Amino acid sequence: MSDLDKAISELRACKIIPEPQVREICHKARELLIEEANVVQVDAPVTICGDIHGQFHDLMELFRVGGDVPDTNYLFMGDFVDRGFYSLESFLLLLCLKVRYPDRITLIRGNHESRQITTVYGFYDECLRKYGSANVWRYCCEVFDYLALGALVLGTSSTLEPSFTDKSQAIEPVDDDVEIEIMNSRNEVTARFPRSRRRLFESDGLNSSPPGTPSKTGPSGTGATSDSGGSHHSGGAVLCVHGGLSPLIDSVDKIRLLDRKQEVPHEGAMCDLLWSDPDEIDSWGLSPRGAGFLFGPEIVKRFNHLNDLSLIARAHQLVMEGFKEMFDSSIVTVWSAPNYCYRCGNVAAILELGEDTSNGGVIARSNGDAGRSAQAFMPNLAPRSGPGRRYRVFEAAPQDPRGMPAKKPVADYFL
Amino acid sequence: MAAPHIPNLNTLRNARGTSRGRGRGQGSGGPSITSYEEDKIAKDKIVQQTDQDASVSRLSAVEAGYLDDPFAKYFVSGEGQRRLPIINRGTYVRTKAIDNLVDEFLSKNPAQRKQIISLGAGSDTRFFRLMSRRPVPHGRGIQECPNVIYHEIDFQANTIQKLHPIKKLSELCSHVGTPMTISHSTNPSEVYNDDTLHADQYHVHPVDLRNLGPSRPAPRSFDFIDNALPTLIISECCLCYLPPAAADTVALYFTRHLFPDSTPVGLILYEPIHPNDPFGKTMVSNLAARGIVLQTLKRYGSLEAQAARMKSYGLEGTGGASVKNLWDKGVEGNEKERVAGLEMVDEVEEWELLAGHYCVAWGWRGGPEDGVWDGWQSMAEQLGGN
Repeated sequence: MSDLDKAISELRACKIIPEPQVREICHKARELLIEEANVVQVDAPVTICGDIHGQFHDLMELFRVGGDVPDTNYLFMGDFVDRGFYSLESFLLLLCLKVRYPDRITLIRGNHESRQITTVYGFYDECLRKYGSANVWRYCCEVFDYLALGALVLGTSSTLEPSFTDKSQAIEPVDDDVEIEIMNSRNEVTARFPRSRRRLFESDGLNSSPPGTPSKTGPSGTGATSDSGGSHHSGGAVLCVHGGLSPLIDSVDKIRLLDRKQEVPHEGAMCDLLWSDPDEIDSWGLSPRGAGFLFGPEIVKRFNHLNDLSLIARAHQLVMEGFKEMFDSSIVTVWSAPNYCYRCGNVAAILELGEDTSNGGVIARSNGDAGRSAQAFMPNLAPRSGPGRRYRVFEAAPQDPRGMPAKKPVADYFL
Repeated sequence: MAAPHIPNLNTLRNARGTSRGRGRGQGSGGPSITSYEEDKIAKDKIVQQTDQDASVSRLSAVEAGYLDDPFAKYFVSGEGQRRLPIINRGTYVRTKAIDNLVDEFLSKNPAQRKQIISLGAGSDTRFFRLMSRRPVPHGRGIQECPNVIYHEIDFQANTIQKLHPIKKLSELCSHVGTPMTISHSTNPSEVYNDDTLHADQYHVHPVDLRNLGPSRPAPRSFDFIDNALPTLIISECCLCYLPPAAADTVALYFTRHLFPDSTPVGLILYEPIHPNDPFGKTMVSNLAARGIVLQTLKRYGSLEAQAARMKSYGLEGTGGASVKNLWDKGVEGNEKERVAGLEMVDEVEEWELLAGHYCVAWGWRGGPEDGVWDGWQSMAEQLGGN
């Protein structure tokens, strides 16, 4: 067993590894990450994950539900550290997996992967507590500076492959018309939403529910596109970024031009990508977070259209249901820290995007050039047909009482 | 795609819960009076210690620039601790909201002497902050040291802790009023023990609130409470630790029993709400793990329930707002900008959850002719809703 594999098995048991080894792994990780573009290209199938925030046991639950590395291809959209008790173990495990299986796991940067934020929200203190010095924190922060800012998922399928755990289970094909499937942590389908939902409502006599309002089928976080296409096989390109869009960025190419190898700045395009949030507003607004911006549906639809994207996947905001699609399913928030901070009572989710095999596995390189200049002004930004999306929703793993930190966590409530 | 070789920790959940429950009873040989008493003392101690938690939070908010309170540092024993930005903001919003209600009450007919009774006051610094006021322009007029008698009631363990720095430090005792002698004195203005203080404007009563009731003799120190003065009663996370019936008995003792109908009485409650949504359920179980039971939370779990509660105490006017609303609507312009800029509050959704689960509720009766509650009425109108 190599040293790296040993480190992985130690970390999987939620044990920290010696400081010199952390240094070495961080060094190797930086060598890998420096070669990555600001926007990493990832081929479907891929499982997209949101914030982890040092909730190690929940990260293990995520792997249990979503499949282990390298069996499953993962994309983590940042915020690995801070808030939870095990930022070190969580981040170092992900980093070791990245070094060990570079093609099976993609890590992009969240706003908490920053020196300034980690000194406020816990990661710095955790490093001091567990190693007695800030060295490990410094090594990790140097890695943070090299993390990519986004990822572009290509080759997605518009349909869903059936999900199964063991071979004895009968494989039931999923109707091609299903756009969204929600599964629980026991691998049971809890809801399905067809692409032609509007049509279904009419035939079922349920057309009292206008599109866009919560329907009887109870989609907690969904708003499936009502594009009745159905004949597509490609699900289009999906841009993944931690926070969202920036008024300074109108194309994916502009992200590629940024100089990312630095601490997250307080303002500017790089800051916005990591800090912004979608909101039901016209165009742009000020963010209550003090960094980044709020952006409205027209901004997203225009960006997706101009860049030939079917969807933006982002994290950054706690959503009680684990995921939330907005703006006619042009953007989705994925949140992967259940019972966030051990007190929010939310469930978590991961998003699985399948691979389009209809074209013999050849991926259409559709990332933003086709027909883009044709229309500078678009009266009707019809959303393109999105990929088939399977959300796996899971709950918090119980805390191991032996694993609780000796130091009492800060006051969680007002007393 | 699930990974079956990774154990499902959730399956251990029930088993562990059961064994934990069994373990507790072992060794004690079943419930006995002694263990019951010990249990009760231990539970009281946990409630008493919530005050240290609050005073550390207060100092954290002061040091981060949210609150101006030169007295906070004197009431924290041991090292201070930096709290998370959302905790600081919550401490700020709650303190300011209650300060505003207190100011509205005191600023009507400032010449008229008034009275404040703080239940479970613990290490609260409001009395010292009021007394250290210098004439400075403030809002509609000049804010001065108010004409108020301030009573604090708490467990003896907490009053001893409170009085320790007050006796020791001139920064504190200079505000208490003069003269003070450390003796059992018959002169009402000069009683000052380890656990008791009676000075001109400041009284600290070592009284267990659970011993109050209409059919029980009032503690002797309550002779210092003037039942003719317009009176404001404050419970900041105090009554919520009592069983609902006991909490009601205490509140009614003050609103109905101690003061005649002719005396204007107001009540301010600061308490958690919404126990039944996912955040609320988690809050209840997390606090229970620390031995803290929010006993009134189920009964008074919403702003509507709090308003009905005020009415049941004989208070005709009511107002209330969640801490979230107090921040959204109650903190204005420049001040909001100042506070929001103190720290980067990344946890916006978490703030909204947390702040949505605490409320300040207020109720009042009497005194319509001099408009003593007018400010409370307009605050109720301005901040209404969730």
